Amino acid sequence: MKQKLLFPNKYKRLGWLILIPATILGIFLMFNNFEGMRFITKVFAIIGNENLDENKYFTFVKADITNTVVGVLFIVGALLVGFSKEKNEDEYISNLRLTSLLWAVFINYLLLLFCFIFIYGLEFINVMLYNMFTVLIIFIGRFNYVLYRNSKSMSNEEYN
Amino acid sequence: MKNTIKIERAIAELTQAELAKKISVSRQTINAMEANKYVPSTVLALKIAKVFNKPVEEIFILDELD
Repeated sequence: MKQKLLFPNKYKRLGWLILIPATILGIFLMFNNFEGMRFITKVFAIIGNENLDENKYFTFVKADITNTVVGVLFIVGALLVGFSKEKNEDEYISNLRLTSLLWAVFINYLLLLFCFIFIYGLEFINVMLYNMFTVLIIFIGRFNYVLYRNSKSMSNEEYN
Repeated sequence: MKNTIKIERAIAELTQAELAKKISVSRQTINAMEANKYVPSTVLALKIAKVFNKPVEEIFILDELD
Protein backbone atom coordinates (compact mmCIF):
# COMPACT_ATOMS: atom_id res chain seq x y z
CA MET A 1 0.00 0.00 0.00
CA LYS A 2 1.81 3.10 -1.19
CA GLN A 3 0.81 6.57 -0.01
CA LYS A 4 1.19 8.83 -3.01
CA LEU A 5 0.04 12.07 -1.44
CA LEU A 6 3.17 12.60 0.65
CA PHE A 7 6.40 14.53 0.11
CA PRO A 8 9.70 12.61 0.06
CA ASN A 9 11.35 12.05 3.43
CA LYS A 10 14.08 14.69 2.99
CA TYR A 11 11.48 17.46 3.09
CA LYS A 12 10.63 16.70 6.70
CA ARG A 13 13.97 18.13 7.81
CA LEU A 14 13.50 21.19 5.60
CA GLY A 15 10.04 21.54 7.13
CA TRP A 16 11.44 21.70 10.66
CA LEU A 17 14.05 24.24 9.52
CA ILE A 18 11.22 26.51 8.35
CA LEU A 19 8.68 25.69 11.05
CA ILE A 20 10.88 26.33 14.10
CA PRO A 21 11.95 29.91 13.19
CA ALA A 22 8.40 30.67 12.00
CA THR A 23 7.03 29.49 15.36
CA ILE A 24 9.51 31.65 17.28
CA LEU A 25 8.62 34.68 15.14
CA GLY A 26 4.93 33.89 15.53
CA ILE A 27 5.20 33.76 19.32
CA PHE A 28 7.16 37.02 19.26
CA LEU A 29 4.41 38.68 17.20
CA MET A 30 1.75 37.21 19.48
CA PHE A 31 3.29 38.80 22.57
CA ASN A 32 3.52 42.15 20.80
CA ASN A 33 -0.11 42.23 19.66
CA PHE A 34 1.07 41.62 16.10
CA GLU A 35 2.73 45.03 16.04
CA GLY A 36 6.27 44.08 17.03
CA MET A 37 7.65 44.35 13.53
CA ARG A 38 6.54 46.19 10.45
CA PHE A 39 7.37 45.45 6.88
CA ILE A 40 5.22 47.56 4.61
CA THR A 41 5.39 47.03 0.89
CA LYS A 42 3.28 46.93 -2.24
CA VAL A 43 1.73 43.55 -2.86
CA PHE A 44 -0.64 42.08 -5.37
CA ALA A 45 -4.08 41.45 -3.89
CA ILE A 46 -7.14 39.69 -5.23
CA ILE A 47 -9.14 41.59 -2.63
CA GLY A 48 -7.50 44.27 -0.52
CA ASN A 49 -8.17 47.51 1.22
CA GLU A 50 -5.76 50.12 2.47
CA ASN A 51 -6.79 52.19 5.50
CA LEU A 52 -10.15 50.43 5.83
CA ASP A 53 -11.72 52.20 2.85
CA GLU A 54 -13.36 50.54 -0.11
CA ASN A 55 -12.25 47.14 -1.34
CA LYS A 56 -10.00 46.99 -4.37
CA TYR A 57 -9.88 43.98 -6.62
CA PHE A 58 -6.99 42.44 -8.59
CA THR A 59 -4.61 45.29 -8.02
CA PHE A 60 -1.53 46.29 -6.06
CA VAL A 61 -2.08 47.58 -2.54
CA LYS A 62 0.19 48.80 0.22
CA ALA A 63 0.16 46.45 3.19
CA ASP A 64 2.11 45.32 6.24
CA ILE A 65 3.15 41.83 5.22
CA THR A 66 4.86 40.75 8.47
CA ASN A 67 1.99 38.52 9.54
CA THR A 68 1.62 37.23 6.00
CA VAL A 69 5.26 36.16 5.79
CA VAL A 70 5.28 34.50 9.22
CA GLY A 71 1.95 32.80 8.59
CA VAL A 72 3.03 31.51 5.18
CA LEU A 73 6.31 30.18 6.56
CA PHE A 74 4.48 28.49 9.42
CA ILE A 75 1.96 26.80 7.14
CA VAL A 76 4.56 25.69 4.58
CA GLY A 77 6.84 24.37 7.32
CA ALA A 78 4.00 22.57 9.08
CA LEU A 79 2.75 21.01 5.82
CA LEU A 80 6.25 19.71 5.04
CA VAL A 81 6.71 18.32 8.55
CA GLY A 82 3.27 16.76 8.72
CA PHE A 83 3.03 15.41 5.20
CA SER A 84 6.51 14.15 4.37
CA LYS A 85 7.16 10.44 4.41
CA GLU A 86 8.91 8.94 7.39
CA LYS A 87 12.22 7.23 6.69
CA ASN A 88 10.47 3.89 7.13
CA GLU A 89 7.03 4.79 5.82
CA ASP A 90 4.86 1.68 5.49
CA GLU A 91 1.20 0.76 6.00
CA TYR A 92 1.41 0.86 9.79
CA ILE A 93 3.02 4.32 9.83
CA SER A 94 0.39 5.50 7.32
CA ASN A 95 -2.24 4.14 9.66
CA LEU A 96 -0.74 6.07 12.59
CA ARG A 97 -0.62 9.19 10.43
CA LEU A 98 -4.28 8.96 9.45
CA THR A 99 -5.37 8.15 13.00
CA SER A 100 -3.46 11.19 14.25
CA LEU A 101 -5.11 13.35 11.63
CA LEU A 102 -8.56 12.13 12.66
CA TRP A 103 -7.69 12.76 16.28
CA ALA A 104 -6.39 16.27 15.49
CA VAL A 105 -9.48 17.35 13.53
CA PHE A 106 -11.76 16.00 16.25
CA ILE A 107 -9.87 17.65 19.16
CA ASN A 108 -9.56 20.88 17.18
CA TYR A 109 -13.30 21.15 16.69
CA LEU A 110 -14.01 20.25 20.31
CA LEU A 111 -11.74 23.14 21.32
CA LEU A 112 -13.40 25.43 18.81
CA LEU A 113 -16.84 24.41 20.06
CA PHE A 114 -15.77 25.26 23.59
CA CYS A 115 -14.46 28.67 22.48
CA PHE A 116 -17.60 29.31 20.43
CA ILE A 117 -19.77 28.83 23.48
CA PHE A 118 -17.66 30.62 26.07
CA ILE A 119 -15.82 33.43 24.28
CA TYR A 120 -17.67 36.55 23.15
CA GLY A 121 -16.92 39.93 21.67
CA LEU A 122 -13.68 41.06 20.09
CA GLU A 123 -11.69 38.31 21.78
CA PHE A 124 -13.29 35.87 19.38
CA ILE A 125 -11.01 37.24 16.65
CA ASN A 126 -8.13 35.68 18.55
CA VAL A 127 -9.92 32.35 18.58
CA MET A 128 -10.29 32.51 14.80
CA LEU A 129 -6.67 33.52 14.45
CA TYR A 130 -5.27 30.60 16.44
CA ASN A 131 -7.75 28.17 14.97
CA MET A 132 -6.15 28.68 11.55
CA PHE A 133 -3.12 26.81 12.81
CA THR A 134 -4.30 24.47 15.54
CA VAL A 135 -5.28 21.50 13.33
CA LEU A 136 -1.75 21.33 11.96
CA ILE A 137 -0.16 21.85 15.37
CA ILE A 138 -2.25 19.17 17.07
CA PHE A 139 -1.70 16.76 14.18
CA ILE A 140 2.08 17.17 14.15
CA GLY A 141 2.24 16.91 17.93
CA ARG A 142 0.08 13.81 18.09
CA PHE A 143 1.73 11.99 15.17
CA ASN A 144 5.26 12.58 16.41
CA TYR A 145 4.29 11.62 19.95
CA VAL A 146 2.80 8.31 18.71
CA LEU A 147 5.92 7.60 16.64
CA TYR A 148 8.12 8.38 19.63
CA ARG A 149 6.07 6.16 21.95
CA ASN A 150 6.31 3.34 19.42
CA SER A 151 10.05 3.50 18.98
CA LYS A 152 10.41 3.65 22.75
CA SER A 153 8.31 0.55 23.39
CA MET A 154 10.51 -1.28 20.89
CA SER A 155 13.90 -0.50 22.33
CA ASN A 156 12.74 -2.14 25.57
CA GLU A 157 12.68 -5.49 23.82
CA GLU A 158 16.25 -5.66 22.68
CA TYR A 159 16.44 -9.33 21.81
CA ASN A 160 13.35 -10.04 19.84
CA MET B 1 -7.56 -11.07 15.40
CA LYS B 2 -4.72 -13.04 16.94
CA ASN B 3 -1.54 -14.07 15.20
CA THR B 4 1.36 -16.42 15.72
CA ILE B 5 4.04 -14.26 14.13
CA LYS B 6 6.21 -14.28 17.23
CA ILE B 7 6.16 -18.08 17.43
CA GLU B 8 6.77 -18.53 13.73
CA ARG B 9 9.61 -16.07 13.96
CA ALA B 10 11.19 -18.07 16.79
CA ILE B 11 10.86 -21.29 14.78
CA ALA B 12 12.42 -19.66 11.72
CA GLU B 13 15.05 -17.98 13.94
CA LEU B 14 14.35 -14.54 12.57
CA THR B 15 14.63 -11.29 14.54
CA GLN B 16 11.96 -8.60 14.17
CA ALA B 17 14.39 -6.59 12.08
CA GLU B 18 15.15 -9.49 9.74
CA LEU B 19 11.49 -10.29 9.18
CA ALA B 20 10.78 -6.58 8.66
CA LYS B 21 13.45 -6.44 5.97
CA LYS B 22 12.14 -9.54 4.18
CA ILE B 23 8.68 -8.05 3.75
CA SER B 24 9.91 -4.45 3.42
CA VAL B 25 8.14 -2.84 6.37
CA SER B 26 9.48 -1.10 9.47
CA ARG B 27 10.36 -2.99 12.64
CA GLN B 28 7.64 -1.00 14.38
CA THR B 29 5.07 -2.73 12.20
CA ILE B 30 6.23 -6.22 13.22
CA ASN B 31 6.30 -5.11 16.83
CA ALA B 32 2.78 -3.66 16.64
CA MET B 33 1.40 -6.81 14.98
CA GLU B 34 2.96 -9.09 17.59
CA ALA B 35 1.47 -6.91 20.33
CA ASN B 36 -1.92 -7.23 18.59
CA LYS B 37 -2.02 -3.46 18.20
CA TYR B 38 -2.18 -3.54 14.42
CA VAL B 39 -4.08 -5.70 11.94
CA PRO B 40 -2.04 -5.88 8.73
CA SER B 41 -3.44 -5.42 5.24
CA THR B 42 -4.20 -8.52 3.19
CA VAL B 43 -1.09 -7.91 1.12
CA LEU B 44 1.12 -7.84 4.17
CA ALA B 45 -0.56 -10.91 5.72
CA LEU B 46 0.05 -12.84 2.49
CA LYS B 47 3.68 -11.73 2.42
CA ILE B 48 4.20 -12.90 5.99
CA ALA B 49 2.60 -16.27 5.26
CA LYS B 50 4.90 -16.63 2.27
CA VAL B 51 8.00 -16.00 4.38
CA PHE B 52 6.99 -18.73 6.83
CA ASN B 53 5.75 -20.96 4.04
CA LYS B 54 2.37 -21.57 5.65
CA PRO B 55 -1.24 -20.77 4.76
CA VAL B 56 -2.40 -17.37 6.04
CA GLU B 57 -5.04 -18.82 8.36
CA GLU B 58 -2.42 -20.73 10.29
CA ILE B 59 -0.72 -17.48 11.19
CA PHE B 60 -3.70 -15.15 11.53
CA ILE B 61 -6.65 -16.41 13.55
CA LEU B 62 -9.99 -14.68 14.17
CA ASP B 63 -10.95 -14.26 17.81
CA GLU B 64 -14.37 -13.90 19.45
CA LEU B 65 -14.41 -10.10 19.06
CA ASP B 66 -14.09 -10.14 15.28
